[in-house]
Amino acid sequence: MENMTQDKTIINQKILIIGSGFAGLGMGIQLMRKGEEDFVILERANDVGGTWRDSHYPGIACDVPSHLYSFSFKTNPEWSRVFSPGGEIQSYLRDCAKTEGLLPKIHFGRDMLASRWDDEKKLWFVETSNGLYSAQILITGTGHLADGHLPNVKGINDFIGEIFHSADWNHEVSLEGKRVGIVGSGASAIQILPEVAKLNCEVTVFQRSAAYVVPRADRVYTEAERRQFRRDPTIIDEVRQQVFWEGEYNYAQRRGVDRFLKEAKDMALGHLENQIKDKDLRAKLTPNYEVGCKRLLISNEYFPAFTKDNVTLEPSAIKEVNGSTAISADGNKFDLDVLILATGFEAVRPPFAKRIYGKGGIDLDTHWDKGMQAYQSITVNDYPNLFIINGPNTGLGHNSVVFIIEAQIDYILGALEFAKENNVLAIEVSEDAEQKYMEELHIRSQNTVWLDGGCKSWYVDDRSGRLTLIWPDYAHSFKDENGTFSPDGYMTITG
Amino acid sequence: MQISTENEPKKLTVNDVEITYFDSGKQDISDRLPLVMIHGTGGRTDSHFGYLFPLAAQRQRVISIDLAQPKLKSESLSLEHLSAQVMAVVNHVIPDEKITLLGYSLGSVIAASIASAFPKTVENLILIAGWMKTDTHQVMRNQVWKELRKENSEAIKKYMTFCAFSAPFMSNKPIEEMLAAAEMIEINEFVDMQMTLNADIDITEQALDIQATTLVIGCTFDQMVPKHHSKQLYSVIKDARYAEVASGHAVVFERPAELVQLIDNFTQNPQKHEAGEIIPALRP
Repeated sequence: MENMTQDKTIINQKILIIGSGFAGLGMGIQLMRKGEEDFVILERANDVGGTWRDSHYPGIACDVPSHLYSFSFKTNPEWSRVFSPGGEIQSYLRDCAKTEGLLPKIHFGRDMLASRWDDEKKLWFVETSNGLYSAQILITGTGHLADGHLPNVKGINDFIGEIFHSADWNHEVSLEGKRVGIVGSGASAIQILPEVAKLNCEVTVFQRSAAYVVPRADRVYTEAERRQFRRDPTIIDEVRQQVFWEGEYNYAQRRGVDRFLKEAKDMALGHLENQIKDKDLRAKLTPNYEVGCKRLLISNEYFPAFTKDNVTLEPSAIKEVNGSTAISADGNKFDLDVLILATGFEAVRPPFAKRIYGKGGIDLDTHWDKGMQAYQSITVNDYPNLFIINGPNTGLGHNSVVFIIEAQIDYILGALEFAKENNVLAIEVSEDAEQKYMEELHIRSQNTVWLDGGCKSWYVDDRSGRLTLIWPDYAHSFKDENGTFSPDGYMTITG
Repeated sequence: MQISTENEPKKLTVNDVEITYFDSGKQDISDRLPLVMIHGTGGRTDSHFGYLFPLAAQRQRVISIDLAQPKLKSESLSLEHLSAQVMAVVNHVIPDEKITLLGYSLGSVIAASIASAFPKTVENLILIAGWMKTDTHQVMRNQVWKELRKENSEAIKKYMTFCAFSAPFMSNKPIEEMLAAAEMIEINEFVDMQMTLNADIDITEQALDIQATTLVIGCTFDQMVPKHHSKQLYSVIKDARYAEVASGHAVVFERPAELVQLIDNFTQNPQKHEAGEIIPALRP
């Protein structure tokens, strides 16, 4: 339905979803399956896939096994490997959008610029890069890994040479014969380095802090196995269960239980010792914080890359760039042709928050000046009819985030059902309920490796020292506690 | 940096035998009853509850008893001997408190008989891979075990491992890992006594009496205490609900995190599921 207001066409619908990654697509699929077709998905790019569309650097793959890292309501017998490459995940998401009939619902090339709550009309008005929208319900599915984090390094903007972020890889830049700097040693860097090191180029890795890396139990699925998955999908369910509970087991490490920390640490350091014989190099690659404080990485190829003649490890951060010279915190200088920033994402302060204005006209980023927070990790006081998927306290260090996303989708479906049955125009969490939830989470976060592990990570908000990104418990507890909507704690206005 | 939820072993002398137990200590923030755990045949807190103890202790006070070989004259080991050890620790550490009592394997047989004898103490009961009355299938396995033991067979630990773990679990592991697991098994005189006790269990009358709010957990692929035993307990105990884990008898090793979930949800609100309900497994 289209209305003319102030000479501008406004596209109205009941529900607006921002983003078409796992969160947005999953939400859309479940709405369609429930027979709710009054929604639109706004997508800033021209394709679905979210982080799997944007991240296409060499070597990209997921570090959660594919049979679990996919929708429970749309399993896929065709995964080529235990840990499938990123392109395959992107194809899967495209296929989900297509086969579920979601494509007509997705408005591509619409970057959400500002969403404003109109408390009189009880509607969200959403300004995009290509048109105005309004909706009763606003659902964000922008994820933690949407916008690349660029390090604040002196002179980096004046670097003479090619520079790009891992989530915006420039495939037109040939690395052959070049001097390449890779900044970072996190989940992206460990996948990029082995691929770049294969090329005829000189690579320097700037490592602010070393990573714990454990073996990757990856392998190809044989045609026989794929036939079994096709013929008998219950086998996929069994694999999902097995992988899920193995992941849950590892929560004991994050909880900080000594014997499981030791188990993980022994595995990671044993892997390092097996792969790196040179004691000095091994020392440089040995982390100085507790295992699990930063994301525990999995790779069989990362450490061996450092034994190649064309790879240099600089065990300190990049501090300054002067022309084509990169200077490390330890004062070492490297002349470079290409600088690859594998420096992670703007996760703690997600950019979408700057664009959402609640009841008082305050943007969510300002509202979250002490760190992001949400009741049941999904709704925010002063921001009625807004549901945030994969926002505050929804990240996992030990299991599949798609499981969390599905739990949140179920929650929203419950809330929509409640609103429909009770003729609710606006629903808003009370400040008390939100604060109480956050206090409980804060207590629960104590003694976990994320807070006590002695590292600097993207899981913690520097401004408050609180764990704002991670769900500090089992994944199953998230679903048990936050997967089913209850009106308790909410204020409603009925029509 | 101090990250620890490990607990020092504590000692108590019961009928001239020194018992080791573990106590996670009083919890201020939890309104749940203390959870008392009893391990299975040949086990200890450290082996059977190495995962469950510290993780369950995040939610409530947990006390676990290492059963010890009692001093016997001519009589053979009975459930009463073992129950006495558990109750001595309970009465020593948390006298007059109501508890949630959890047993695994033989521990669940002990737990069920305690629940029937002390209905005022045992408010809630969790029976994992337990049974009520030993049947022919179990006797057959028990006899094979005894023959291997008598012959001092090298195969006995492999046989125990083969029986304990499910085919789906084992098939995903290299054989070396399973053989290494077999080598960890300790067999001693006390285990012999427990195996004799296992061959002749019948707590049917006690089970009929149990008043506690009960969660029975059966294991789909259990070859030692097949799940029909758990179904029997679930059917006979008045206020019981049932959950099943896709695991072998060695569920404390195969799916410990899933047990943590079931225990956590139950101790948070034991009545959440009604008597007679079958709790569906999580489908991630």
